[in-house]
Amino acid sequence: MKKANDFAVGLTILAGTAIILAATLWVKQADIGRDRATVSARFRDVGGVRVGTPVVIRGVRAGRIEAMELKDSVFVVARMTLDPTAELPVDPVVLLNESSLFGEWQATITSRNAVGRDADVLRQLSETSRDDEVLPGATLPDIARLTAVAGRIAGDVATVAERVQVAFDDQAARELRSSVRSFSELSTILAQTVREQSNNMTTVSSDVRVGVQSLVKSAELLRDVAERVDSSTARGEVHQIVADAGEAARQLRETGRRLAVISEQLGRSQVRLESFLATSDSIAQKIHSGSGSLGLLVNDPTLYRNADSAMRQLNLLLADVQKNPRKYVNLRIF
Amino acid sequence: MAPHPGARVRAVEGIESLGRWGRERIEGLGRSGRFVGDTLVASRDVSTWWPEATMHARELGVRSLPIALYIAVFTGIVLSLLASYSFTGAVPLYFVGTLVEKTITMELAPVLTGLALAGRVGANIAAELGTMKVTEQVDALETLSYDPYAYLVVPRVLAGTIMFPVVVGLSMVVGVAAGWAASILLLGISSEEFVKGLRLFFDAFDVRYGLVKSATFGTAVTWIGCMQGLAARGGAQGVGRAATSAVVYSAVIILVLDAFWAVVWLLGNKP
Repeated sequence: MKKANDFAVGLTILAGTAIILAATLWVKQADIGRDRATVSARFRDVGGVRVGTPVVIRGVRAGRIEAMELKDSVFVVARMTLDPTAELPVDPVVLLNESSLFGEWQATITSRNAVGRDADVLRQLSETSRDDEVLPGATLPDIARLTAVAGRIAGDVATVAERVQVAFDDQAARELRSSVRSFSELSTILAQTVREQSNNMTTVSSDVRVGVQSLVKSAELLRDVAERVDSSTARGEVHQIVADAGEAARQLRETGRRLAVISEQLGRSQVRLESFLATSDSIAQKIHSGSGSLGLLVNDPTLYRNADSAMRQLNLLLADVQKNPRKYVNLRIF
Repeated sequence: MAPHPGARVRAVEGIESLGRWGRERIEGLGRSGRFVGDTLVASRDVSTWWPEATMHARELGVRSLPIALYIAVFTGIVLSLLASYSFTGAVPLYFVGTLVEKTITMELAPVLTGLALAGRVGANIAAELGTMKVTEQVDALETLSYDPYAYLVVPRVLAGTIMFPVVVGLSMVVGVAAGWAASILLLGISSEEFVKGLRLFFDAFDVRYGLVKSATFGTAVTWIGCMQGLAARGGAQGVGRAATSAVVYSAVIILVLDAFWAVVWLLGNKP
């Protein structure tokens, strides 16, 4: 019985210990007895990285961080074990970064050329570069810091929004809405005006173009004239023209003098005409008032009829004279 | 006006009862301390307790495995279901593995197994030793020059201290495996996802913390069972009271120790 107890307890302890150890090693992905390549990297700060953090090359897990120690009072040197088949990139550097939003970190071995242009990362790599086998390393900002920055920005935006809200109360909003509406109407009018002015400008441009073309033609004509003048000058025709022009001017002066005489005569004729008109007017008034013979003739129907009768008889007499001249004219010679 | 003589007597009696309560508490502490001291002294008598140790280890540990693993299986299943129920929205489902591993390894396996064994082991020890006490078998041992602490207490405490971590360790493995299986079969999480979450924040410290904690639970449960059993008085009723007290005190001490280790070992000691 005692031996059976001993065996059962011993077996349970051995089995339990073995199972717990095996499970722990399996979960930790420990590889006992397998050759591993070792690489070290130097950092200013390792952030949230700890022993056991995975090491990644081109996105594939290639090892883990085995140890970390402080060096030279300002650096941390992390020792990483890598799969011996993993090849390091050219000019390798190590970047520590968060691999998810949940606080997981990883060490990424990459080429220095693939780091990008982040000034802070380049500065860290420059500071940790030495002429030894330890790779330079840099730590990227964790999500908490980025979130903190974003939080500050959000706070500033909230403050600005609050101030805007304070500045733009209901009255201001109404006024702003009214202003916007007015501005919209103004814009419509302005657009219409611009459209019209555009049409006008098109017309003006067309006119200007025509004018320019005319000017061009005029210039050409002027040039021709100038050429002709030039040629005329060359042949002495200008002197002739000037002489002709002098003669024409003299004739014009003579004509002017004659016109002045005529004008003076016209003035006198005008005076006489006015006098005549005044006299005619006086006569007309007398006729109209029935004074004088003519007035009586005009205003008295009897006289008119008599005169008309006389004129008729006279006409008859003239007709008769023309018809029978001998009846009234008896011309005898000798 | 002078106080009534009856009132003065009642006041004196109240003060006396308070003093008696305090003395009894101190006596309890003193008895406990003396019990621990006597046990440590008796542990030097290896020839007496060593032959008994494996028998108690089998009784307390090996035979407790079925109930411990049974609890672990259902704990793992329920925990994975609870995790998937809680992880909605932004939290990826592979964190089910993380939560199952962390919770079972560091908390549920030690505490639930400890509480289950407190009922089984603590009551068993208290009843056994209480019966021996009330039937004067303990006095007979002393008559035969056997140190009852070396013969009865030390092998049980030693067996509990050694076997509790073994049982809890196996509970950890079985609980996580059950959660893994439940995640695959019931939740549709792939095995790779669960293992990814399992390994994500795993640290050997988790296992170490749970095993050390469970060892202290084993020590406490067996020690309380022995103390309550040897303190039994008055026949079968006294044995029953001793068994009940052993279970209650063990459960309380397990929770106190759980908080103690969390404060001492976890607080300010993030891995």
